[in-house]
This record gives sequence, structure tokens and C-alpha cells, in this order.
Amino acid sequence: MTAAVKGIAALLRFRELMFLLVARDLKVRYKRSILGMLWTLLNPLLQMLVYTLVFSRIMRIGVPQFPVFLLAGLLPWTLISVSATSSALSLLNNQGLIRKIAVPQAVYPLSIVGSKLVDLAVSLVPLAVIAAALGRPPGSAWLLLVPAVVVATCFAAGLSLLFSSLTVFFRDVRHLIDILFQIWFYVTPIIYPHEFLEKLGSPLLRSVLSLNPATPIIRWFQMVVYEGRPPDLRTAALATISAAATLVLGFAVFQRLEDEHIHYF
Amino acid sequence: MAGAISFQNVGVCFRMHREKVTTLKEAVLGRFRHLRDAEVFWAARGVSFECRPGDSIGMIGHNGSGKSTLLKTAAGVLKPTEGSVRIEGRISPMIELAAGFDPELTGRDNVFLNGALMGYSRREMASKLDRIVDFSELGEFIDVPVKNYSSGMYARLGFAIAADVEPEILIVDEVLAVGDERFQAKCMDRIRDIRAGGTTIFFVSHAMEQVAALCDRVLVMHHGKLVFDGPAEEAIRRYRELQGFRPDAAPHPRSA
Ligand SMILES: Nc1ncnc2c1ncn2[C@@H]1O[C@H](COP(=O)(O)OP(=O)(O)O)[C@@H](O)[C@H]1O
Ligand SMILES: [Mg+2]
Repeated sequence: MTAAVKGIAALLRFRELMFLLVARDLKVRYKRSILGMLWTLLNPLLQMLVYTLVFSRIMRIGVPQFPVFLLAGLLPWTLISVSATSSALSLLNNQGLIRKIAVPQAVYPLSIVGSKLVDLAVSLVPLAVIAAALGRPPGSAWLLLVPAVVVATCFAAGLSLLFSSLTVFFRDVRHLIDILFQIWFYVTPIIYPHEFLEKLGSPLLRSVLSLNPATPIIRWFQMVVYEGRPPDLRTAALATISAAATLVLGFAVFQRLEDEHIHYF
Repeated sequence: MAGAISFQNVGVCFRMHREKVTTLKEAVLGRFRHLRDAEVFWAARGVSFECRPGDSIGMIGHNGSGKSTLLKTAAGVLKPTEGSVRIEGRISPMIELAAGFDPELTGRDNVFLNGALMGYSRREMASKLDRIVDFSELGEFIDVPVKNYSSGMYARLGFAIAADVEPEILIVDEVLAVGDERFQAKCMDRIRDIRAGGTTIFFVSHAMEQVAALCDRVLVMHHGKLVFDGPAEEAIRRYRELQGFRPDAAPHPRSA
């Protein structure tokens, strides 16, 4: 417990470094190329077009204003999955610094989460525009996106800490992470409404999939953005617990293994 | 008290993996045997010494004798495998001066990045910036990406930053070898000033005259062991003995 408090205090002392690393990453991606910021916006929009074509037109999934529904889940999912997969390499990429300068190593994965968080904030703008254009204009419920983003960020941070540390010991973990997120994407209600999962025939499959820790977090975004209402208490509580538990687990594992990293580069 | 260093029976051990297992697949197939079979190598062991605030301590020894390893444990980069290291006060490690530089950023941006890596805020670094630029003598080059710097320019900027952060303990690990003679002399002057201000100095160099000039007390490392701890002259003699180095024969090895 005291170790955790010390770890958090050390991280807070280096918050300026974290901001600087986030700024550096954004500068490289946004400023160096004029298209940088555009790419950040374009990527979810292109995915939206393809998924809308496939699921709304070809497979006729029957969700009205499908693009709004899709983006509501896809944006937080992108924060979580892109943070975790890019963080997996963050310690290896910064090993030169880690070998020579004593800094809490968590700043490296966490600064990646920070820069993906900025991406999410930026892409909320086109989401609002599309939602308004399709007849679901943002209302006061959207204020509840603030805690939703906090919860999603904690979840992303926990996974990022966990995976960045594990990759140091086993380099092939990153391939497993890529596969994990591909599968995870399809079992999470992002491209289809979560009622589809409740209508599953197999009770076993249904109960396994109901344990998905990402579902309540994604649902929170969908309720606010797509359904235009605050999340129900159960969803909000489950999302908060899931994010807090993931963050605590990731931080605890990272702290235990941090001093060992330098022996495995 | 701020500036004190205490090493108690410190050992640092590296695991040398006979077959380097780096993937989960290999680990699973070998049933994690590598975790048991790793050979251990003690880069330093049984090292104990105390250092009071304001002392300036030198450390000499052959390449690979464990000097950098000990400095890195003092700087907190490495944790000792056994024993304990106590450091009191703010430490400024000059271990590898270019380590904290991002080649794509300008010298100016790197001053802030380096400061942040040492835990200083943007405002604190902004107030030091002019002095740092001045000392480094980089002039307009401060706004050029550091990937275009020569190794001497890297060293100048790195030294200027590390020397300007008002440390209570200054660690110097063979960083003065780069840079021209005049700049080296300037750096030595700066280190002397810092010492005069009461900062503890921990100085590693292969230039014996620098060590003798700066340090009242010198530690000699030999294959990971601390073999001598005492006055500079005696320490240098001991070091040369261990190297099989005879000073009277050295200057004209071919004349006989
Ligand atoms: N990360 C590492 N992994 C394995 N061995 C290392 C590592 N770092 C240093 N060593 C070994 O530890 C020994 C001491 O190195 P070092 O402290 O750098 O020596 P010095 O600075 O006195 O020249 C050397 O034999 C070196 O090979
Ligand atoms: Mg060395």
C-alpha cells in the first residue's frame, strides 16, 4: 500500500514530463504533416462508412441512424485498443532513456494514453456534427461523456501498463495483444446493439460474453450519444468497477515488475 | 542530511541468459527453464562506503570494473540486488549526457525535455535557459534540431543543463572526454565552483590528473570489488599496481 502511494507520488512529481511526452507525440503527428490531424479524424470516419455499408445496407442489421450508433462505441473502443497496442512497445522504444535516467517508467505508457485521449476529444467534434445531421443532436446528457471518458481512460491506462510491462519479458506478447483486440472487438457490442448478445441461444456463451469488462464502458457512451439519456445505475457502476479494477491491476503488476525491466532489454 | 551518500554491502547482479529467451512461445516450450538456469554475473558486490555532504569522491578502475553500475544505483536507475543504497538530496547524474535528448527536437526544446526528465518544471527550466545557452556556447544552434549537432556540441549542451540544476549531489561519469580541451577546462572549473558551493561530487574519470586535482578521497574498483578507499595519490598508485602499470617505464616504451 505504501509502495503504491509512493509510486503515485513519484508519478505526480513527473507530470510535467508526461505532458511534454504527450505534446511531443502530438507535435510529431499533428504538426509535422498537415494531414496529421486530418488522419486522426479520417480514420474513424472511413471505418464508419465501411461498417455502415456492410452492416446497415448489406446485412440490414436494423439500427436506425447506424453511423451515430457505431461511432458512439467505436471512438472509446479506439482509445482503449490503440492505447494498449501502442503502449505495448513504449518501454522497449524508450529503453535508451530507461537505462540512464531514473524516472517512474509508467510515464511512457501513460503518455501514450494521454495522446490517444486527445485524439478522442478531437474526434468528438465530427461525432457531434454527424449526430446532429442525422437527427440526434447532442443534448445535456452529453455532459455525462466527461465521466465516461474518465472511466474509459482509466481502463485504457490499466491495460497499457499491464501490456507494456509484459512485452519487455516476452516480445511476442504484442502479437497476442493484436489478436486479442481483434477478437475482443467482435465480441463487444460496437457494430451491433447489445440486445443481440442477450438473444443468444447458448446460455454458456451468453454468460461468458456478459463478463466482458469493456461492454459497460462502451454501453455508457452509446446510451449518452445514441440514446440521448444518462446511463442506468447498473451500467455506470459496472463500468466504474471494471475500469478501477483494471487500473489497479495494471498499476500493481507494473510496480512489481518495473525494477526488473532493465535486466530484460 | 542533504548531500549524504551511503552504500552498505551493495551488490548488483545481472542475469546472463545462456540462451536468451525473449518470447512467450520459447518460454512455454522450454517450460520456463530459463528462469532457473540463468547464469548470474555480479557487476559489483560487497561495496560499502559513506560520503558526507560536501565531500568530493573519485572512483577509478579498469573498464568493466563496475563504476558505471555503482553510479547508476546511486542515480536510482538500477536497484541493488543486495545491500542498500541511501541517497539524501537532489541528484544530478551526468552519466550519459546525450541520453535524454530527442534528436528531432531543437536544443531549446531538449533543455525542457531534459529538465522534465530530472523532475524540473517548465518554469524552473525557463529561468535557467539563458545561462544554459550561454554556458554551452551554442549560440544560434540552440534552435537547430540536435540531430545536426556534433558529439562535442551534444556534450556541451548536456553538461550545461546538468551543471545548472543546482544539485545537492553531482555524479560525473567519464563525460568530459568529449569536447575540446578549452571546454573541458571550463567544465572542470564549473565542477570546482559547484563543489565550492557545498555540493557532494561523485567523479569517475580515466584522467588521473583530473581525479587527483578534484578529489580528496578516491575509491578503486577492481572486478566489481571495492579494493581501496583513501587519499588520491595512494589510490592512483594502487590502481596502477593492479593494472601492472609502471609510470617510470610508460612514457618511452620503445626506447629500451
Ligand atoms: N545491462 C547489463 N547486462 C549485463 N551486464 C552488464 C550490464 N551493464 C553492465 N554490465 C556488465 O557489468 C560490468 C561492469 O560494467 P560497468 O559498471 O559499466 O563498468 P565501468 O563503468 O567500470 O567500465 C561489465 O562487465 C559489464 O559488461
Ligand atoms: Mg563506465
